[in-house]
Amino acid sequence: MTPAPTLALLVLILAALAVAQALRRARLWRRGRPAHVDWLAGLKALPRRYLHDVHDVVARDPYAARMHAIAAGGLITASVLGVFGLVPALGHSPVYGALLALAFAAALAGGVMVGRRRSPVKPARLSGGRFRLVPPALTAYAGGGLLVGIAILAGPGFAALGWLGVALAAAGAAVLVYLLGDGPMRHVFAGALHLAAHPRSDRFEGGRETALHPVDLAAPQKLGAETPADFAWNRLLGFDACIQCGRCEVACPAFAAGQPLNPKKLIQDLVGSLAPGGAPYAGSPYPNARPVAGVGGPELPIVGLGAMVHPDTIWSCTTCRACVEECPMMIEHVDAIVDLRRFQTMELGAVPEKAVQPLLDLRQAEEPGGRALAARGDFAAGLALPKIQDRPAEARPAEVLLWLGEGAYDLRYGRTLRALVRLLGAAQVDFAVLGAEERDCGDLARRLGDEATFQDLARANIATLSRHRFGRILTADPHALHVIRNEYPAFGGHLEVVHHSSFLDELVAGGRLAVGDLGAALPGAVTYHDPCYLGRYNGETEAPRRLLDRLGLERREMARSGKRSMCCGGGGGAPVADIEGERRIPDLRMGQASETGAAIVAVACPTCTAMLEGVTGARPEVRDIAELLLAAVEAAPPAAAPARQRQPEPVA
Amino acid sequence: MIANADALLKPLTIRGLTIRNRVMSTSHAPGYGKDGKPQERYQLYHEEKARGGIGLTMFGGSSSVAVDSPAAPWNQISVADDSVIPYFQQFADRVHRHGAKLMIQLTHMGRRTKWDTEHWLPTVSASPRREPASRTVPKELEQEDIDRIVAGFASAARRCREGGLDGCEISAAHGHLVDQFWSPSVNRRSDKYGGSLENRMRFGIEVLSAMREAAGDDFVIGIRMSGDEMIPDGLPAEDCLRIATEYARRGLVDFLNIVGGQARDHIAHAISLPNMSFPVAPFLYLPSAIKREVDVAVFHAQRVTDLATGARAVAEGHVDMIAMTRAHIADPHLVKKLSEGRADDIRQCVGAGYCIDRIYVGGDALCIQNAATGREATMPHVIAKAETARKIVVVGAGPAGLEAARVAAERGHKVVLFEKEKTVGGQVNVAAKATWREALSGIPRWLHGQVLKKGVDLRLGTAATPALVAAEAPDVVIIATGGTASKGHLAGTEHVATTHDVLTGAVEPTGTVLVYDEIGGHNASSTAEALAKRGCLVEVATHDRMVAEEVGTTNQPIHLRELYKLGVVMTPNMELMEVYPEGNRLIAVLRNTMTDAEEERVVDRVVIDAGTLPVDALFFELKAGAVNRGVTDFDAMIAGRPQPWPAGAGYQLYRIGDAVAGRNIHAAIFDALRLVKDM
Repeated sequence: MTPAPTLALLVLILAALAVAQALRRARLWRRGRPAHVDWLAGLKALPRRYLHDVHDVVARDPYAARMHAIAAGGLITASVLGVFGLVPALGHSPVYGALLALAFAAALAGGVMVGRRRSPVKPARLSGGRFRLVPPALTAYAGGGLLVGIAILAGPGFAALGWLGVALAAAGAAVLVYLLGDGPMRHVFAGALHLAAHPRSDRFEGGRETALHPVDLAAPQKLGAETPADFAWNRLLGFDACIQCGRCEVACPAFAAGQPLNPKKLIQDLVGSLAPGGAPYAGSPYPNARPVAGVGGPELPIVGLGAMVHPDTIWSCTTCRACVEECPMMIEHVDAIVDLRRFQTMELGAVPEKAVQPLLDLRQAEEPGGRALAARGDFAAGLALPKIQDRPAEARPAEVLLWLGEGAYDLRYGRTLRALVRLLGAAQVDFAVLGAEERDCGDLARRLGDEATFQDLARANIATLSRHRFGRILTADPHALHVIRNEYPAFGGHLEVVHHSSFLDELVAGGRLAVGDLGAALPGAVTYHDPCYLGRYNGETEAPRRLLDRLGLERREMARSGKRSMCCGGGGGAPVADIEGERRIPDLRMGQASETGAAIVAVACPTCTAMLEGVTGARPEVRDIAELLLAAVEAAPPAAAPARQRQPEPVA
Repeated sequence: MIANADALLKPLTIRGLTIRNRVMSTSHAPGYGKDGKPQERYQLYHEEKARGGIGLTMFGGSSSVAVDSPAAPWNQISVADDSVIPYFQQFADRVHRHGAKLMIQLTHMGRRTKWDTEHWLPTVSASPRREPASRTVPKELEQEDIDRIVAGFASAARRCREGGLDGCEISAAHGHLVDQFWSPSVNRRSDKYGGSLENRMRFGIEVLSAMREAAGDDFVIGIRMSGDEMIPDGLPAEDCLRIATEYARRGLVDFLNIVGGQARDHIAHAISLPNMSFPVAPFLYLPSAIKREVDVAVFHAQRVTDLATGARAVAEGHVDMIAMTRAHIADPHLVKKLSEGRADDIRQCVGAGYCIDRIYVGGDALCIQNAATGREATMPHVIAKAETARKIVVVGAGPAGLEAARVAAERGHKVVLFEKEKTVGGQVNVAAKATWREALSGIPRWLHGQVLKKGVDLRLGTAATPALVAAEAPDVVIIATGGTASKGHLAGTEHVATTHDVLTGAVEPTGTVLVYDEIGGHNASSTAEALAKRGCLVEVATHDRMVAEEVGTTNQPIHLRELYKLGVVMTPNMELMEVYPEGNRLIAVLRNTMTDAEEERVVDRVVIDAGTLPVDALFFELKAGAVNRGVTDFDAMIAGRPQPWPAGAGYQLYRIGDAVAGRNIHAAIFDALRLVKDM
């Protein structure tokens, strides 16, 4: 034997052990519920999903992208090359030796980069513990392989060097195999399989599959997830794919506010629940963590004081999807949280105290404030707010149906809707509202895990909408937009919905609204705050900016914007759950807005408006884009705007 | 944001008419009528409220339906013939343009008016009983008169409809003809219109039935009525409730606009128009009681000066709409500011009663603190930006200086405001120290908030000097240094204290005090009241026919009531001639102005209100250096033109408020607004 075939055998043993580890892990995943997976399509799509979707996320941190490309690319190339050492002729080929050395050198450089990431001080978002073993194991394996390559290149006289390399590589490989089963290296196979068997196959290659999956309320199994075994098997696989990079933790608004949620830790708690006694977690804890027993198992409850996760953790989530957007392993944290909430709400009735009344009102009054549905239009008193029921049967279908949403009941947001209604009037848009037939869209119920109430509301709204004739639904509420556009189709509602930012942008672009220059009237810059349910959930980040740019205002961007924007704290029922933290999320977000020096934060969502308006002290003004546009329309030169009415002449 | 604000911003539908929110202004007579018609000034005054977001504005308080209820006494409106209809149409267009609704009040005043105006017809009533307030003895109505007046109401209702108004109410409050029939204090008839309450209700039923017939089924008709006449021989609350429920049950009225009290004499009048001595919404319990019994809309006005109180009244279900009439005189943009989240910018009514007191002496309604109200044709409620930003120094942060600084800052000028005291407010702070006059402090409080908000550089505790003013290199200097209390011209002024001395605490009289009222304003009376409350034995003497003779009809009775209660001796027709010491006391010599007979008083203190003299030293120091020599061009100011801008380097100098001559708060604020709005 020479070093080359030995290295090849080592690589093969490594591969075999990896498969064994994967199979061992797969037995755990099989404890989960069955899931339909199109393996053929998934495996076929795997390279594209990896090279595009995963790497687009990874590349947001260029160092990490280079590191991963060199380390993973070098390791796989070198290992595959290493297997060719079994071919006797290659064992002495200088060309083979050079190639092998080059590949392992790359892997070695990658290993060094992995190490340097945590040196001299480990960034808070990265984990310690077994992750500290990765750089030495990688460098030992790659360094050993490099020595073997050099030995082959140098000729027969350097066999000793080769054996030294084999020994070093074997030592490194042993650690890597160890880390493969229950450690950082598990992401290699779990991540690859997760990409192939992903529960949201439409989210790749530019798709934005963001709708929550419906619960079959008639199915005999329990509703939502109580134990790890209640998750679909490919969800469990997804949790195992986590590489603990902590990007979710950095993005999470609840974590930033000191509420007891850290998406990374939550995923690790789910992994730990499935396989108790695994690698100890060595990342950031939940901020202000509430004490729990820490007892878990595949068939044991996950949430509870005697379990792994405190209820406050799952109720801290705003469902903003920032963690999902940032996750390079394509893990669906929000789905997991909603599944856990569904069990708490529907099976245990264990909702946060302040969420009890809104849910009760949603069930009994079809409105979370228990207010009369007929009062939804009160905000517009004095303005024309035509009801769709009042349209003559022979009339053309209304151009748009204006979905008013929950914000219509709010005094502040009523100003935004008044501006929108006036703009529709100015643009002579043929619109109508549902009046007392508009129920809550069901967003709050669904995010709080009350799928039953959500489905009742969804079906009732779909039935109502199907009775009326209109072109598109227009709404200023991104939550309603998301629910109606993306979540109603599962219940038979296929409706075209447009957000007011896009619609107003169309009106201006189409010349139906003439705008003046707001620059003089509103000194100071404007910064746009992306609503999560518009940007991340629906991918619409450009129309509001285009619209603002038409108003003659200087627009500045916050450090976090677009699809990577930070939540206002208002989504997912978080305001009614009201889990105590150290800071308020809207205060943090407003701080980011203030940092731009802008005088105005432009918003496009009733929830964001309410949250940001609640920030006290000196801060930029909060204005909805509809309010800004209305001001610009009113500032339009008289020729373009309707002429101001003259004072009446005195009568005789 | 105030509590329950959403309750105010909900629409209300009455007989098919949707009013956009729950805030209204009741019909009143601001004295703007001209030739019995609501012309431009009247219309602009209400249009401003409509622009300011009000739901319903009602005009034409006591608009007459018949020739023997003349429109002349308070420059009111006559709906007694068709010539008024085009004015209504123009008026309605003006108000509807801003989304508000417009209604009018129709009435026959019966005995509560004058016979010696317009057509010189005798006043009429249910019975020939004299009304103290109008001082007329009416003729008892014959059946033919009743039929004529009922027909007059019907024709007037038709004219309202044809004029495009959204509705009307009849007045059966404050002692008009309909409630003269109701009230046993007036109605002593023995026919079908007198005796039992059923009979006494008959006239009103005939009026409303005829109006409904003439105006049609889709026209809103309501009634303004008392919930309790609060006089011993009048209608008690139980009878008012019976009338309200009976009229509502019969379908005669679409809304009940409830007030408390009556207005047949001075004190009843003052109670029915509560001034700042009353708590807010003192009679809210009356509409609340009626609302429980009827299923028509209930409105109410009476010292609801702030939106929080109004919102509570609506949210708790006491009323369907809250009327904030004087509050809108102080700030016609009240609802707009609330709905735009700018409730802090609302100029709140302080309840001074300046508006209403002026009309009862034949003047026009003006707001003590908002000089633009009633002057909409020339004075802006929203100040426009100036084309050229200038540097303006204002000296003195009393009402004149504060208003000048506020308006200048709104115009975009850079403003420095010097005030030698540590607080703003000037003489208002002194007046507000006297018992129930405390609410006056709301005037400078709002102005202070506005000047801070608009970025005025306010230098408190800094007495301006020519050097300090020059250091600012101003384009304009406005002297608003106010006045100091005068001691008058009697002999022995060195032994006399002023009302300012007492209220500021500079002197603290004890024992026997003679207060001499040379001005007839609030100062002497309120100082006398404050002294009596501290335990002094007080006499108020005045050369007028009664103390506080210049104080209006909603305030003077309150002064008199308090002074009587405290045992203060009031001595009219006496002039203070001389004060001299004798031992450790003072001798005050008084002369009877009618007989010249002299009397003496031995007192511990003499306190005088002889008005103020201007504080003008700085003005004269700056005058020589001013390009305009300190002269205000009156013609330009009255015409609403900017002051001329003479060539030459240096500053323009103006003087406003009591720094020119001692007058009142409104004069000071008007001086400031009309000078600076064009600057």
